[in-house]
Amino acid sequence: MKKIALFAALAMGLALALAYPTQTSAQGVVKIGAPLELTGKFTAYGQAGKRGIDMALDTFGHTAAGMKVEVKFVDIQSNAQTTVSGITELVEKDNVGFMIGPIASGVVSWATPPWRQKKPVWIVTGSSSTRNEEELGKEPRFFHPYPWDYDYHQSLAAALKHALGAGKKVAIVYSDGAYGRAHLPHAKQIFGKEGFTIVLEELVREGAADYSPALLKVRQARPDILLGLVQTSDGILLAKQVKANNLKVPYLVGTVYAALDEWQKATGEAGDGWVSVTTYLPGLKRPANPTYSKLLPSSADWEAAFRKRYNREPEFLDPLNYVATIGLLMAIERAGSANPDQVAAELEKLDEPTFYGRMHYVHSGGTLHQAFSEVIVIQRQKGASVVIYPQDVAQGSLISSSP
Amino acid sequence: MGIYLQLLIDGILLGGLYTLVATGISLSYGVIRVINFAHGEFIMLGAYAAFWAVTLSGLDPLLMLPAIIVGGGLFGYALQRLFIQRILNAPHVNQILLTFGFSLILQNIAAILWTGDLRSAPSVVSYSVTELGPLMVPHSRLVAFTVAVVLVIGMLAWLKWSELGRATRAVAQNHRAALLMGINIHLIYAICFGISASLGAAAGSLMSFLVTISPWMGFPLVVKSFAVVALGGLGSVLGTIVGGFVLGLSETAVSFFIPGGSGWAEGVSFVFLIAILVFRPRGIFGLAVEEDAR
Repeated sequence: MKKIALFAALAMGLALALAYPTQTSAQGVVKIGAPLELTGKFTAYGQAGKRGIDMALDTFGHTAAGMKVEVKFVDIQSNAQTTVSGITELVEKDNVGFMIGPIASGVVSWATPPWRQKKPVWIVTGSSSTRNEEELGKEPRFFHPYPWDYDYHQSLAAALKHALGAGKKVAIVYSDGAYGRAHLPHAKQIFGKEGFTIVLEELVREGAADYSPALLKVRQARPDILLGLVQTSDGILLAKQVKANNLKVPYLVGTVYAALDEWQKATGEAGDGWVSVTTYLPGLKRPANPTYSKLLPSSADWEAAFRKRYNREPEFLDPLNYVATIGLLMAIERAGSANPDQVAAELEKLDEPTFYGRMHYVHSGGTLHQAFSEVIVIQRQKGASVVIYPQDVAQGSLISSSP
Repeated sequence: MGIYLQLLIDGILLGGLYTLVATGISLSYGVIRVINFAHGEFIMLGAYAAFWAVTLSGLDPLLMLPAIIVGGGLFGYALQRLFIQRILNAPHVNQILLTFGFSLILQNIAAILWTGDLRSAPSVVSYSVTELGPLMVPHSRLVAFTVAVVLVIGMLAWLKWSELGRATRAVAQNHRAALLMGINIHLIYAICFGISASLGAAAGSLMSFLVTISPWMGFPLVVKSFAVVALGGLGSVLGTIVGGFVLGLSETAVSFFIPGGSGWAEGVSFVFLIAILVFRPRGIFGLAVEEDAR
């Protein structure tokens, strides 16, 4: 009789184990994949992502809902082949239920097909390209805690209009990859709507070694504003060649690259005057979460902890990845399980004030789960980043780089 | 008229750099008959040497150029003696795999040692410019061009008038005859590979203040260099010089005159490569697809 009862119990246990989704949890382990651009041309993004995730895990304590949390970092090397193989391995072999990263727009587009194989809950802490919004925005397990390109351009156009008035001429230089081509239509539409005149749209090749002919066309167009819709490595070359060719355009505007420490160091004095968007700037005084002050401290406390840990200033992707990871771990804790659907439901309910802004995924129209859409506009002035918009947090005014 | 002159200036300045980058490849193929896929990494190492010189000592990359040329030469010499020498008589595919392997190893060593962060080495000439009416001549490009021309002329002079240079040409023409004449061909191979590497390192040092430095910066340059070398004629230094300027001027013109041309310009090198392989495989001046004379 005892043997029968033992067999029955074992059979029930086996049946329960088979019936329950095994996508994430094996013997009380929550598996999170972190496919990041740890090397290659987007290494600055991937490294910041890893710093934020690592810090969040240590702060949270490596357990959630009574289960051990295991994060597997995969270096996808910023290239298509490694991205596809890395994510296929995470999804098919490691059977992760959750993914954080990659970050760069083009890399996210490469990551999409292998992600679709099993569709773990996917938090993309970057990618402003709306090509990815069209592809992924309606996916119920896709979460996007980062602005889309139209959010950038709305803020940039508003900041420039506020400082200069309408009617100024804009020349756009855009790269031929997913990033530049996706940004271009929104930039044209939004700047046009704000009263700017687009006098030139010039395509440049991603990774090109020379922009002189494109800049010659810009010079001929005599714009008031040069808008560079390129990514970091091309943004460095663009800034250097604008300076080296003595291009006398009064206002130089980038997207997010001019906010990156890597861009600022590589461009040096050529970076001065460039306007950029960012989602976070050290020194913004935001309070701690009243309920979870240890996990989500004030911006000053978090920045102090970050500096102590990494001996460097945080960039906008550091706190974003920290907060997004904390959000995921909180959702797992609240779901009480590692079931992706239950965790996704808890992520949807999440509404917490953080030092990075309000962590609340909302249906934004194009995206089912969108958070942190607000951006601030900064300008590099005498080697420092100065907030110039919105007005309520502005630290200075827009100045011409070619007086 | 000003626009055409500006394009001519831009094209010539770009062509000078392409020539310097490609001459090293041309020399190593012309004498040793090894297609060196790791040449881009010599450029990358030269650029990092300039960057670290600026960062650690505050010295201008141009001041460091002689040291970088010597360092690059010694590195190339050692590489040839230790590895390339052993596969000289192996099939071409083995040589290609070996140099391609070096390329990957050097890229990864650079990424491990210095991370993949994008960098730049500012020079005193980085952002100064001469304005001649409507024409702009950036000093950074002018200096890079001038140094490139001096180095290439120096190499040609060495080939023409020095004893070692004459021996090198003899080896390039017929290594067996050179051997019978008592020339130490293995020494010539190592010296040529060293000079090839030093030209690559010099190009990297000059590019350190023009473009963005990263462990992966070399490969696209080396691919473009193959087009330059094939255009001029594989193994012909004179052809490489012509090829470099033809490519620089063509890219600049395509970028400017064709709508969206900057996107197309990068493809110009491959159009040349395909056209030359189909219609004139020997290139303009060279030996292109001749059988290995070794």
